[in-house]
Amino acid sequence: MATAKKSSKGKGGSDKKDEAPRSAESKPSSKARVDDAALQTLVPGFSDNVRLGGEGSALFVKAAGVAVISLGIAGAMGASVGDDFRRFSHSYLVAFAVGLAVSAGFLYWVTLQHLVNSHWSVVLRRIAEVFAANAPVLFVLSLPIVLPVLGGQGLIYDWADHAKVEADHLLHHKAPYLNPTFFAIRIVFYFGFWTLLSRYYLKGSLRLDETGGAEIIPSMRRVAGPAMILFALTLTFAAVDFLMSVDAHWFSTIFGVYFFASCVICVHAVLTLSLIWLQGKGRLAKSVTVEHYHDVGKMLFAFTVFWAYVGFSQFMLIWYANVPEETAWFKERFAHGWGDVSWALLFGHFVFPFFGLLSRHIKRNKKTLAFFAVWMLAMVYLDMYWLVMPNVNETPDFHLMDAFNVLGILSALVAGAAQRAKGINLLPTKDPRLARSLAFENI
Amino acid sequence: MSHDEKTPETPGPAALHGLLAEYDTPGAILAASQKIRDAGYSRWDTFTPFPVHGIDKAMGIKMTVLPWIVLGAGLSGLATAIALQWWTNTFDYKWLISGKPFFSIPANVPIMFELTVLFAGITALVAMLVLNNLPLPSHPLDFVRRFARSTDDRFFLLIEAADPKFDEDSTKALLEGTHPAAVEAVKEDNVTSNKLPKILIYGVVIMTVIATVPFALAAKARHAVSKSSRIHAVQDMDSQPKYKAQRANPVYKDGRATRLPDENTVAVGELKEDAHFFRGKMNGGWARTFPPQVRLEDATMKRGQERFGIYCTPCHGEGGEGNGMVAKRAEELQQGTWVPPTNLTQDYLRQMAVGELFNTISNGVRNMPAYGPQIATADRWAIVMYLRALQRGHASKTAGLPPATGGTN
Repeated sequence: MATAKKSSKGKGGSDKKDEAPRSAESKPSSKARVDDAALQTLVPGFSDNVRLGGEGSALFVKAAGVAVISLGIAGAMGASVGDDFRRFSHSYLVAFAVGLAVSAGFLYWVTLQHLVNSHWSVVLRRIAEVFAANAPVLFVLSLPIVLPVLGGQGLIYDWADHAKVEADHLLHHKAPYLNPTFFAIRIVFYFGFWTLLSRYYLKGSLRLDETGGAEIIPSMRRVAGPAMILFALTLTFAAVDFLMSVDAHWFSTIFGVYFFASCVICVHAVLTLSLIWLQGKGRLAKSVTVEHYHDVGKMLFAFTVFWAYVGFSQFMLIWYANVPEETAWFKERFAHGWGDVSWALLFGHFVFPFFGLLSRHIKRNKKTLAFFAVWMLAMVYLDMYWLVMPNVNETPDFHLMDAFNVLGILSALVAGAAQRAKGINLLPTKDPRLARSLAFENI
Repeated sequence: MSHDEKTPETPGPAALHGLLAEYDTPGAILAASQKIRDAGYSRWDTFTPFPVHGIDKAMGIKMTVLPWIVLGAGLSGLATAIALQWWTNTFDYKWLISGKPFFSIPANVPIMFELTVLFAGITALVAMLVLNNLPLPSHPLDFVRRFARSTDDRFFLLIEAADPKFDEDSTKALLEGTHPAAVEAVKEDNVTSNKLPKILIYGVVIMTVIATVPFALAAKARHAVSKSSRIHAVQDMDSQPKYKAQRANPVYKDGRATRLPDENTVAVGELKEDAHFFRGKMNGGWARTFPPQVRLEDATMKRGQERFGIYCTPCHGEGGEGNGMVAKRAEELQQGTWVPPTNLTQDYLRQMAVGELFNTISNGVRNMPAYGPQIATADRWAIVMYLRALQRGHASKTAGLPPATGGTN
């Protein structure tokens, strides 16, 4: 065991040496005031390359291009199915839910770091801040879901269709909450709040870069408490509105928490992959160490367990009580091939990553951690697919537009993050807690 | 450890236990640790007021085996939970719960989770103590005055004399080369014992013995017969501040707890003048016809069938042949006091007046309790009606029925 540990450490060390000289290759951006390639002094005696610059612009162009083309192809495929975009809408909602989990998850994560005055995560915070600032992008991406609802079309949601509501007593009963106008108002409110909060934290953090004035930190911490409460409420209601109301007859009071588990899994998976990409480009090569990866891995592990805990709590109460109005939802998901997807989720989303991520060696190795990050993102996608798709497909059938939709949405988020990150420092250079974050060690 | 060999009974000139170096900063002790590690020493340790990051690496401490022990304990907890529930639910105490399988995994998962966590948690604590050689009642460093600051603001490094590379002069030179604030020789502890205090051991033994008492009592109670009633720890349900029926009540002159209605009064709905309908009597004998309040129609028959299913089938069976589930079960258990329920399709019952049947249902007969208080009057008549249909169906011949119903043409 001791030798295994030494060899993994050796690898980590050599990685850093390889990456450092590459930073000189990137071209300076005309807009950036500071030379992109410049190594910035972070704390006395420590410097690192913290500007994305030209790489950011290139990534933005690529990701935005992929997003537009993918969503275009998906839309065309949806039209060719010839069901008035019913199948496409569901497929798009699945992809959107993953995007929402990533974006909202990062906002939660940033708020949490301020709330607990976290030191270890300072070097990672800027990446989270730029991803969290995608809230307006996601709002635009929500329009293909919200606009048909406003137009009274029940493509996904039966409650949006006036005729169906009139014919269904339960939908009629729930109409004071589940109606197109109120739905649109709520969505605007959620994204409005998320946009304001993410802007607040990004701007505050950037101001810290310029002035170095630490007096803003306590005020950001004070905001974090109430913001966290409001965030919990908005996320819960957003999960209910977008996902649970797909089957408006069914209800589960733990549903918001269930979706939240996916959000936190997405944060740590995307954070891992972003860090590996950035370090591959020679950015943050020395600032972010295996210790930070280790902690991100721990959180990824913890929240796979959390997901299983919440998911099982939801399942067991319904299974035990055996009340028809609740069990109907699970019955659909254990019939006609959906049962296989349910089992795949149990093993793929919990059992495999649980044992896979248990060992510290796996969390301290970039390659294995990256594998599990990708794996967990795929599992979150499958989870969302399992939540939404039984509404339109009696048996699970994968269509190529599903892949294009999720590729498009995630690329749009990457493009948004790259656009924001290209002109700013990749970590809060003057945060007074930076030195401790750089020196962070697990043991 | 070297202090195992000390003899507290014979205090004398103490042998050298080791050399202690004191440092001002965590950085200094990290650097010193690396030097000692590289010099190849094995029996040495560091003492700091707070966890110093990187000290494990600086001291060359290998990864602990603890995670594997905890993993093993967690998996044993999981296996124990599965085995426990499988055995209790399918063998020891079979109990059908809302039609679910005897051994159903979803219901068992919470226990599986809890035992996994419990086993892993307790094992993590105990194994950590054992791996750290704890508890350690005494140590030679307890007598070094400057060492008290190891819980405050100083960092210490101790190399034991038992180390194979230890040599008083060269080791001292090595330690002085690490820029310590001070180096001090530590003598063996010849004064205190490194054994656990006897009172602690006796205490643990006594507590363990006491802890077995409840289990011993429970085990005894399972195999003993007692004439005294059970002990009720919570008496709430046993002594209720109220007067029960048939008890004396000093509040009233006549001393009855149960009050009679006032003379010459009848409560609303309690006036039961109609002997035919309420008691099944007609002209002094059992009525042979249904009272006019009972409408002889399908709805009444359906109602009678439903009530019969609820109240009568447990004993008399679906067809009234006296073979209900309760009867079958009682026969299986061979209860000596059991009187089998009557077969309602017998001839004498077929000829019995409906009034008498009604009366039997209302007031009971032999072992059968009275159902009057439980079943509404009209419903009792509906049951009689259904019973008549059962009896007639039982007595009918298959001859003359169309073939589809099993008759012979």
